[in-house]
Amino acid sequence: MAHDEKLIQKLTEKAKIIRRDAVEMIKAGDSGWIGGSFSQADIIAALMFHHMKHDPKNPDWEDRDRLIVSKAHCCETVYAAFGEAGYFSKELYKSYGHMGATLQAHTERIVPGIEYSGGSLGQGLSFALGEALAARIDAPKDSSGRPVPRYRVYCIIGDGESNEGQIWEAVMAALHYKVDNLVAILDHNKFQSSGTIEERMNMMPWVDKWKAFAWDTAEINGHDFEAILTALENADRVKGKPHIIIAHTTKCKGVPSFEHKNLHFCKLSDEMYAEALEALK
Amino acid sequence: MKQNYVLEPLGEMKAMYQAYNEEMIELSKKNGKIVLLYGDFPRGAAGELFQKEHPDRIYDVGIAEANLITTAAGLAGGGYLPFTHCHSIFAVGRAYNQIRQNVAFDKLNVKIVLCNSGMLWSFMGGSHQIIEEIAAMRVIPNLVLVSPSDPISTKKMTRAIAEYTGPVALRISAPPVPTVYRDDFPFELGKAVTLTDGSDATIISTGMVLSDALEAADTLAKEGIKVRLLDMHTLKPIDEAAIIKAAKETGAIVTVEDSSILGGLGGAVAEVTAENAPVPVKRVGIKDRFGQSGTVPELKEEYELTARHIVQAVRESVKKK
Repeated sequence: MAHDEKLIQKLTEKAKIIRRDAVEMIKAGDSGWIGGSFSQADIIAALMFHHMKHDPKNPDWEDRDRLIVSKAHCCETVYAAFGEAGYFSKELYKSYGHMGATLQAHTERIVPGIEYSGGSLGQGLSFALGEALAARIDAPKDSSGRPVPRYRVYCIIGDGESNEGQIWEAVMAALHYKVDNLVAILDHNKFQSSGTIEERMNMMPWVDKWKAFAWDTAEINGHDFEAILTALENADRVKGKPHIIIAHTTKCKGVPSFEHKNLHFCKLSDEMYAEALEALK
Repeated sequence: MKQNYVLEPLGEMKAMYQAYNEEMIELSKKNGKIVLLYGDFPRGAAGELFQKEHPDRIYDVGIAEANLITTAAGLAGGGYLPFTHCHSIFAVGRAYNQIRQNVAFDKLNVKIVLCNSGMLWSFMGGSHQIIEEIAAMRVIPNLVLVSPSDPISTKKMTRAIAEYTGPVALRISAPPVPTVYRDDFPFELGKAVTLTDGSDATIISTGMVLSDALEAADTLAKEGIKVRLLDMHTLKPIDEAAIIKAAKETGAIVTVEDSSILGGLGGAVAEVTAENAPVPVKRVGIKDRFGQSGTVPELKEEYELTARHIVQAVRESVKKK
């Protein structure tokens, strides 16, 4: 069933705002992970500005939904989403990556709203699993005596990041414990730091692997809000197993001239900065 | 000279893991936030109780130590008090980055139980006997590292770390060990316990080798060498004041640990004395070797960790004063 057009427009606008703010941050910090920040931006917008249950005025609300971005180097659109949502002042953006900054180069729990201090890839899904298990303790029970989780946990992982063995440790444990309030989202942008994922470490077939691990598996266009929202809502409905949404994305989506380069970790020249802001008007 | 809370003769033999489990059962009566996590590791009595009475607060992640530590961190993020259980060698070895990055970095309230700690673990051999544990763990910021020596101190330490808010790693040795302390001995996290007093030399011990150090102190007393024996049950933050006082008042220190002499208790004590009160520090411990199969008495003999070796080290140290 299609979602309201106004909602799609709102999310499109929010996604543009967070991409623009990310560009400002990377310029101010003189470095950043623009490619991976942009490929996940639409997913983050859908979660932060519609799907997740959270309250910027109350970042420690015990029953808030959790967003854990395991690929934590792609921090700029994460910071921009929490800033746009009102968790902290956008004044913090200009000190991103500087000495003494609240906004460090990889996300940290010191930032209001940020649940996870990342940087060491492959660990965030385990952290998300722990948070998801916690949601089921001291939870009300349904008519068949099963706990109704107090909150849901959304974890964005990378495809390069999926090389790490610990990802699969979390995958097997989440299935074993039927952690159905855990939703992993794979930002499948087909690149990792030093090249394409196929060149570097070919993990095809992706969808089959997840299906073999018996998670509730969906495959979508990660830049189509209709598809993102539908997949998130379906994941909420399916009980008894954790959920993976494999989102096909484009690295650096949003600035067409950047989209087919592997802009992983880069500085933005004045020209690139202008080009990006022009594309994101 | 020997404090009255030191048992004479020593009391019942008990494995530290059993003592830990007994205390966890007591703690769980009032604390509804405790979650027990295992990496395919024996439950113990506390685990068996939780399986029956608190099945939503006990999880085993299988042979996956990285996931074990990080899942615990997530549970702490969700407001609970997780205790992880697996072999020390695999927690420290395979999940070192997870301990450092997911627990210590954010000061999350996770208690990492380093089971089968140290060299003195019979039969299992060199792949399982950890020598690098103290050195590797004490260099991680924000991580409290504790090392009780007998069943009673294990219980008091378990309670203390549950009450402390922040990351803790707890060393628990494998074999049954004698009870050294009376139930009411003075215990404070971060403060060394004095077992015997004297001014000829100091022995600073950590972990299960305390009973060997005590035997050495008794032997030395008979030859007229009166040693101060300190149980350094908290390795980090270490009791610097007690070390400096011992250095100034006794002039020579011998450290004893079932761990490498590189960077462990011996290293930590030498760091304090070198900066504050330089005295000879003789380190008794594993001399940069891997372990092997054997019984605990055989291992003590092979790795020079008997009371006899400690006595010899003290005699030599006194000569260097």
